[in-house]
Amino acid sequence: MLHHEVVVVGAGLAGQRAALAAVEAGRDVAIVTKLHPLRSHSGAAQGGINAAIGPNDSIDAHAYDTVKGSDYLGDQDAIEYFCQQAGPTVIEMEHFGTIFTRAEDGTLAQRPFGGAGFPRTVYAADRTGLALLQGLWERLGSERFTLYEEWELARIVVRDGRVQGIVALNRRTGEVQDVAAKAVIVATGGAGRIYGRTTNAHSCTGDGMAVAYRAGAFLKDMEFVQFHPTALLEGGILVTEGARGEGGILKNANGERFMSKYAPKVLELASRDVVARAITTEILEGRGFSGPYGPYVHLELMHLGKEKIESRLQEICDLCRAFAGLDPVTTPIPISPAQHYMMGGVGTNIQGETNVPGLYAAGEAACVSIHGANRLGGNSLMETLVFGKSAGAAAAAYAEKAPTTSIVPTEVDEVVATFRTWMGRKDGEVPSALRTELQQTMDRYVNIFRTEADLAEGLRRVRSIKERFTRVRVVDQSKVFNLNLSDAIETEHMIDLAEAIIVGGYARMESRGAHFRTDYPKRDDAKWMKHTLAQYHPTGPTLSYLPVTMTRWEPKERVY
Amino acid sequence: MAESTVPVAFDVYRYQPGKDTAPRYQRYTLNLTPHTPVLTGLLQIRDEIDPTLGLRYSCRSAICGSCAMQINSKSRLACETQVGPEVERHGRIVVEPMRNQPVMRDLVVDQTPFWREYAKIEPHLKLDPRRPMPADRPTPMTPAEVDRFKETPRCIACAACYSACPAAEADPSFPGPMALAKLYRFAVDPRDTARQERLLRIQPNGLWLCLRCHLCTEACPKDVRPSERIRDLKEMAIAAQGATELGSKHAVGFKENLKGAGQIHEMKLVRATFGLTGMVGQIGQGIRIWRHKPEIMKKPRKIEGMDELEKIYAALDPPPKEER
Repeated sequence: MLHHEVVVVGAGLAGQRAALAAVEAGRDVAIVTKLHPLRSHSGAAQGGINAAIGPNDSIDAHAYDTVKGSDYLGDQDAIEYFCQQAGPTVIEMEHFGTIFTRAEDGTLAQRPFGGAGFPRTVYAADRTGLALLQGLWERLGSERFTLYEEWELARIVVRDGRVQGIVALNRRTGEVQDVAAKAVIVATGGAGRIYGRTTNAHSCTGDGMAVAYRAGAFLKDMEFVQFHPTALLEGGILVTEGARGEGGILKNANGERFMSKYAPKVLELASRDVVARAITTEILEGRGFSGPYGPYVHLELMHLGKEKIESRLQEICDLCRAFAGLDPVTTPIPISPAQHYMMGGVGTNIQGETNVPGLYAAGEAACVSIHGANRLGGNSLMETLVFGKSAGAAAAAYAEKAPTTSIVPTEVDEVVATFRTWMGRKDGEVPSALRTELQQTMDRYVNIFRTEADLAEGLRRVRSIKERFTRVRVVDQSKVFNLNLSDAIETEHMIDLAEAIIVGGYARMESRGAHFRTDYPKRDDAKWMKHTLAQYHPTGPTLSYLPVTMTRWEPKERVY
Repeated sequence: MAESTVPVAFDVYRYQPGKDTAPRYQRYTLNLTPHTPVLTGLLQIRDEIDPTLGLRYSCRSAICGSCAMQINSKSRLACETQVGPEVERHGRIVVEPMRNQPVMRDLVVDQTPFWREYAKIEPHLKLDPRRPMPADRPTPMTPAEVDRFKETPRCIACAACYSACPAAEADPSFPGPMALAKLYRFAVDPRDTARQERLLRIQPNGLWLCLRCHLCTEACPKDVRPSERIRDLKEMAIAAQGATELGSKHAVGFKENLKGAGQIHEMKLVRATFGLTGMVGQIGQGIRIWRHKPEIMKKPRKIEGMDELEKIYAALDPPPKEER
């Protein structure tokens, strides 16, 4: 058995920032990740990171925009803390080595983003996530900690009312490893691969959310799933909101700049839920283009000119050229919405604490909640760093005082036995086939526009997949890089999370932010201004609710 | 109106050390549209035909650096390589693991040497405690200063360059293109205070082992152009410390040597590179050359058009400018 004081699962921005905070507090820290840290999905974030550091901007304006963007479901105390920390966090990341794009006067350049009253988004061309990930990894690299690379989380052990550590599969050797820890921080990112059409990496399978959920942590607000308005038609590859921030416009098949109907004041820079619904409405009402990869609308950049497109949106240029065979300098980009982000996640407070003593969460895997029902572009990168740091510091303080923890052999043996059962079957369900069915179900029944009937059908199908998963078979018998086994582990995670999303969405009979019910098209603050909490039960989640924390902003109608 | 598909033959390298006696190639045939990325094809093979195929992948949008492999003998990202042009050019798609890194399973390689070289260049900002950064604001940096990083911040550490590098193959002590491009990134950073020390350390430790074949630049999916950054580092090292290594002495000697006649004066170049005493060690080689091709040893005649050459040199060596 391995021992550490603090174990961080996930090595994207949230995990690395949490690890740095815990190391700086003097704790013995280990990071467990199923990738190399520099391959984490944080690196795929393009557009930027929000901080109210511009001359006319203010922390209050950032907080108000975030509250409004959240459709009043964000906790306002957390949002205020978040916006106060944003400025110092950007400066810290710059000092760590991140190379941001500059304005002529040498200050950090900022671009406009959706739902924001000021150009508030600091950026590094259109690879801000990569720039931050490099800067933070290079900073963390000069500290002492242990890295368990290409280890996949299987279980969080909770005994005697507190966390005892984790059990993980070492992908390189096939060994099941136990790591005792006084505190565990879940920072495994999102679960976009529950959907077929997603901007997320293949590795975004919600491992930490699902494992924490089974270990007794509440999942919060899972029904709020963000669909990014502009994903490349082919494969759902992300086209940054920065493209619209730099002046890109959306047009339907009639050549109309249709956002004027949906957000007359800010047009393409409305918040993401609004723009994604607008695009989908245009397509559903027959004003989209059609092609071999499905219906779409156009994102036009041509009027921005070659120089601006190629410098500010360099990666987008390359992606369009390599993946779609088109040049955005001369040609409109065919786009349609795709799953992008989970507003929901493991429920935490500002310190990243969950309801399980010793268990913390940060980043997309967590739900503090600052994003509420809809996240603003540029707020997620900042969230990873602000709450990664607070979770790391809180976990370190907890671990310093916590008694010794241990993992008993049966807690490992159960995991080993499960894998053996899957691998020992002569016949059974194919993990990747179940995953594909799950993705098709979510794409079809739990998308941008939802109804009771669709959600009910979606739930029926997910539960059927869940039942079939009990007969899953892993064909590959190898110990080294057994991805067939990983498929099964990840598919099981995603089934549980999909169920929580649907059950939460079915119960919520209103429309708020990204959760739009065509059968309940209005927001209902009297009944539904509350967080959904889902508690794990083998037959399906049990729901309860938590009030939203309000400080200074009364709910109003949300107009862009 | 689905796009039409074509049969695509994948010949995939399969090998698990310790289990298989030797590598083999397995043929899988799929019907795919020409736009399909190689990675999508490989994942379809995993999902529908053979779940035991080992490979690394994650973002499928050319930013995580996981899926670099040999595709028809070129180091590429599988996610951004489309099957159509490969089939057109080669008739099939041969997929193999990256080179210069031991195979763990099929297309998965052990990247330990690659990451070790990256760590060796100390890839983090080094600050002088006497010159702390401004506490309450970002370091001022002009767009021109940001431009000095060139394309190095785009590096996704995919190791395609390392796989393509013959110097890394010949000499495991060569840091490799990625590590050197990363070193360049820190050497031009206005916040870093260890530029001299970095250059001093890298001169005898591999900078001059680069063969200037530019295969890394050809392989790089993000246009980092590692070989050009290595050239920049060499220039910076000579400018900062003079020619102190065999490699740099040879480079400077070569440049000076050509000035004389427009052709290499071999004897002088040997002396410039090895020094007078070092020439003793080259006597054996000298005798061999003298026996077989004595004309090489002689002082060369001036070529025609020396005036043109002088113009090139004038352009190469502009009057010295004060560097900030």
